[in-house]
Amino acid sequence: MRGQAPRAQQTEPKGEEPEGSLDEGRFELLFRECAGDLHGYAISLLGDRSAAEDVTALAFERLYSSRAKLDARRGTPRAWLFAIARNACLDELRRRGRRPQDELRDELIQDRGACEAFEQLERRATVRSALSALPLREREIVLLKFHGQLSNAELARALGVSTSNAATRLHRALTKLRLQSADIDCQEVA
Amino acid sequence: MRILPFPEGQHDAVEDRWLSELEAALSGERGGPDGESWRELREDVRALAPPIAPEFDQRLREELLRRSERSQIGRSEGRRARGLLHLTTASTAVSRLRVGGAVAAVAAAVVVLAVALLPEGRTPVRVPANSSPVGVSAGRGVATSGSSASAEKGAAVAAPAASAPPVFAPLATPAAPAAQRRQQRSASVSLSAAPAMLQTVSDSIARLAERSGGFVQSSHVQIQRGSSSEATLTLSLPSARLDAALAAIGRLAPVLDESRSLQDITGAFDAAHQRLADALAERDALLRALAKASTEAQIAGLRERLSHVRRTIAAEQSSLRAVTTQASTSEVEVSVIGNATASAEGLTLHRGLKDAGHVLLVALVALLIAGAVLVPLAILCAALFIARRLWLRHVRERALGGA
Repeated sequence: MRGQAPRAQQTEPKGEEPEGSLDEGRFELLFRECAGDLHGYAISLLGDRSAAEDVTALAFERLYSSRAKLDARRGTPRAWLFAIARNACLDELRRRGRRPQDELRDELIQDRGACEAFEQLERRATVRSALSALPLREREIVLLKFHGQLSNAELARALGVSTSNAATRLHRALTKLRLQSADIDCQEVA
Repeated sequence: MRILPFPEGQHDAVEDRWLSELEAALSGERGGPDGESWRELREDVRALAPPIAPEFDQRLREELLRRSERSQIGRSEGRRARGLLHLTTASTAVSRLRVGGAVAAVAAAVVVLAVALLPEGRTPVRVPANSSPVGVSAGRGVATSGSSASAEKGAAVAAPAASAPPVFAPLATPAAPAAQRRQQRSASVSLSAAPAMLQTVSDSIARLAERSGGFVQSSHVQIQRGSSSEATLTLSLPSARLDAALAAIGRLAPVLDESRSLQDITGAFDAAHQRLADALAERDALLRALAKASTEAQIAGLRERLSHVRRTIAAEQSSLRAVTTQASTSEVEVSVIGNATASAEGLTLHRGLKDAGHVLLVALVALLIAGAVLVPLAILCAALFIARRLWLRHVRERALGGA
């Protein structure tokens, strides 16, 4: 589920259903497509598996409850789902005093280390360090972009800002991420 | 002069190009080392997150499946219920009746509201004739002999007037034959008319009196703008045509109040008649005695008595004529009260349109009042809702910004 790189299947509306509405079949498809990504986004942002599971469950539950109110003009169900998840994550962060937990640091390395090449592992460790060094606001937008695989317009809607503002923030965050990664590489080489 | 490009615009253009390239790279449209690098970064970021736990995935899947099944059962039951409803015509009729009943209830509520909102003084109350104090009060303490019995009977047969349109009930007939009895009749009627119609109605009443062979004894018409208007007419009408005249008056404007009275004056008539007969008999006797008188003193005495009797006869004749006139004419007092809500009785379409307009106006006023209450409430609720959303967004952003 996680690791399906780009959005493999789009939850396009079927013939009889009104555009934007989410019937059982489409919801199931959305669940299969997005559960892993959503969980990945939540766990990357919160750093807490149980909180990420709560957020994932909550997001699907809320989307299911409000599926009749979905408006295709205001974004795809996937974008809605990630917007809900983002709000739930921010609420969770607010509850715990804005501190994302980092309990997964070791788990991450152990999970990945066994089966992947050393170079890749090293590169990912660099990315993880660079990501951790980013301010939470910028880290969040990178995670939302890469896990949610949202377009800039969808990203803007999820963030509640204009498209240009979202694009600027994304540009800034990714530039910083690249620079941080380069810095870390240089330090390691040195 | 050098034209310097606006740095922000240039920056935006660079940023837009960069984002377009990023989008193309992430979607796989753009190849090359740059595109590969972006895709690799995305995969690295995604790979940082541990996979979803299979137990949780299973649990969540089952939970959503359960919810989906519950939802489907609910929908199918709803469809079945609706299907049953549409299958039977009776049920459809029942549902239509319910809708109709609801509409009727709303309409009734509007009408009740309209009536309740009407100022009390302007309520167009049309007093039904049978509820008005119409009665024939025959004999108000008539002292003459034989009148009390007829008075009691007359009172006993006091008849209520018929229902709308106001038709005057025929006067109670005393036990004695009409030819033998002498009765004095009077009536009073109160009409309601629009202030603008007051003069017209008064003129119509006067013309009606003349057509009926009577006349207007007195009249007083008072028309005031913004205040109460009233006309009072006292009519003298032939008793024989009283019923027809009162019925005609009742057709001129809605009747608010009506009363009739009847006084038996047979005793007074008989007494006057008897006194006249006595005086005539005395005169005849005196004339006969005068013819037989032989002395000057007798003749002078008889002539003096004769003169006195003649004066008595004249007085009694006058008295008898007065009683006869009382019996043959009736006094009718008509009051026309100016009422803004009153209108002509016969104009049903006009009145109906006016009432409908009034009801619509009242409904509009009720809607306005409801709007005056609900709109500020809705604005307040919307403001609270927006404020809550803004506050929520603010605290969420703070959760990001403070870290």
